[in-house]
Amino acid sequence: MRPPPPLPPFRPGFWRSPLRGPWLTSILGSVLLVLMTVSSVTGFLSHAAYNPSLGMNAIIPPAKDLPLTFDWFAGPSWLYAFNQGLHVNVGLAAIPIVLFKLWSVIPRLFAWPPAATPAQAIERLSIALLVSSTVFLLATGVLNIQYFYVFKFNFVVAHYYAAVVFVASLAVHLVVKMPVVFRTYRERGLAPLRASLAETVPEPRDPDGLVSADPARPTLSRRGLLAFAGAASATLVVANAGSASGGPLRALAFLSPRRDPRGSGPNDFQVNKTARAANVTPAMAAPGAYALELRGGARDVTLSREQLLALPQRTATLPIACVEGWSTFQDWTGVPLAALARMAGAAGAREVFVESLQPKGILREATLSRDQLMAGDALLALKVNGADLSMDHGFPARVIVPALPGVHNTKWVARMTFRT
Amino acid sequence: MILRRLYGDGPVHLIAHLASFALAGWAIFQLAGVRPHLYVLGWFVGAIVLHDFVLLPLYAVLDRLAAARLGPAVNFVRVPVALSALLALAYFPVLLGKGEAAYARVSALEWHGYLARWAAVSAGLCVVSALVYLVRGRRSAGSSS
Repeated sequence: MRPPPPLPPFRPGFWRSPLRGPWLTSILGSVLLVLMTVSSVTGFLSHAAYNPSLGMNAIIPPAKDLPLTFDWFAGPSWLYAFNQGLHVNVGLAAIPIVLFKLWSVIPRLFAWPPAATPAQAIERLSIALLVSSTVFLLATGVLNIQYFYVFKFNFVVAHYYAAVVFVASLAVHLVVKMPVVFRTYRERGLAPLRASLAETVPEPRDPDGLVSADPARPTLSRRGLLAFAGAASATLVVANAGSASGGPLRALAFLSPRRDPRGSGPNDFQVNKTARAANVTPAMAAPGAYALELRGGARDVTLSREQLLALPQRTATLPIACVEGWSTFQDWTGVPLAALARMAGAAGAREVFVESLQPKGILREATLSRDQLMAGDALLALKVNGADLSMDHGFPARVIVPALPGVHNTKWVARMTFRT
Repeated sequence: MILRRLYGDGPVHLIAHLASFALAGWAIFQLAGVRPHLYVLGWFVGAIVLHDFVLLPLYAVLDRLAAARLGPAVNFVRVPVALSALLALAYFPVLLGKGEAAYARVSALEWHGYLARWAAVSAGLCVVSALVYLVRGRRSAGSSS
């Protein structure tokens, strides 16, 4: 004889929702699988988009990273903006579905005995990793896009490794549970969706104990519950998503941390980091003090801003796309990076290391790949929307490259070192 | 068969879990090295404790009390209140201005009107729900979803 459960939540019949059961959990799990797959894939793509294998781009030390990175694409221009818009907003959409999914399986947390076999014990450990990494990822992501750095650790590093824990524990969860999901769909299909509230009855008792032993009267049909979850996801997305596309939709994003423009002038679009915050002063950028250095080619070249303006100019509409999921498309005018490489006798450069006037900070520099350097619309921008760049947008000159993560579009560019 | 008797499941179950733990273990080992040491692992444990033993019991009890009192009409309260609460849960840093100092430092902008917009949207959800109840719910409460 096993000892009886010690506390009410462990007793059969304590959890009373008549909707819980393998079918409901399967359908919530299926929806969640799609959302979390999109959020995970775009997350790992974002990691690759920083080209961590180049120069000092890596935030995760390469020796402590997975060999998953590749040369990030130099187009289409909206690629990174789209990737991050998906990553952040699909992550937001997943929050209610995670809550509904965990609600649907809560009786399992209070299974009695907690584990009857070593297999069950090991599986529960893996579920604990899955739940904690999921909540960790969603919570740190939500805090980070709202600048609430209440965690004292490095967000990028912690979010990345938590994602690895998540993927590892999700994969094994799928191995164990997909047969149950397929069996449930085979036996019941989507038939429970057709049941109105009056027709809503508990599922047949299941070996996992999801179905209540003492179900209450339903107050909601299963399709009602799914509509409820969907409405919750949509609400969270609408509150933020407009800042991913920029333009007039931004005003719709009623709780987005990046919804307000600065004004209506040519330079009044979102600033990731002001000159003051980066410790770049107008004196450093003044005509007498500033010169762009091109190094590492056949010849060293030094160019004032006037000399840069005298070179053939090109205009392109490109986004600043932040890892935080907001972006802003503007018309940039400047000198193609490829033209600068040719001037310095570095047309065959493998990569270029770009440094800012910004005195310190991990993002004062970035290394661009050959594809990024040679992309037609990759510019050293001098003007935006027809006006000189403002100090906050990188005056005297800034990099702007198609599909590049926002912070790698180095502002206040002081030196470009070509490497062959 | 001896595996099934001693372990309680087949070899695929065991091998899949060992492979998963190898990768997850590697990542947790790296996490444990993130400064401040072990603090980040505390967040991992905290995440599960907060959800399973605080958030879920809290809303489950509130929901059960409301459903006991209102029956199927509970949905006209449950849905707008839950959507409003989820907005608050996901956006509390902007609502309470928690990240405003950091945001102002990097962007030279401030946050305005978030709490008011959240309150307005919450009120709107309640009004819509009440209208739906008046038009449809009272007529057919108990027979529709």
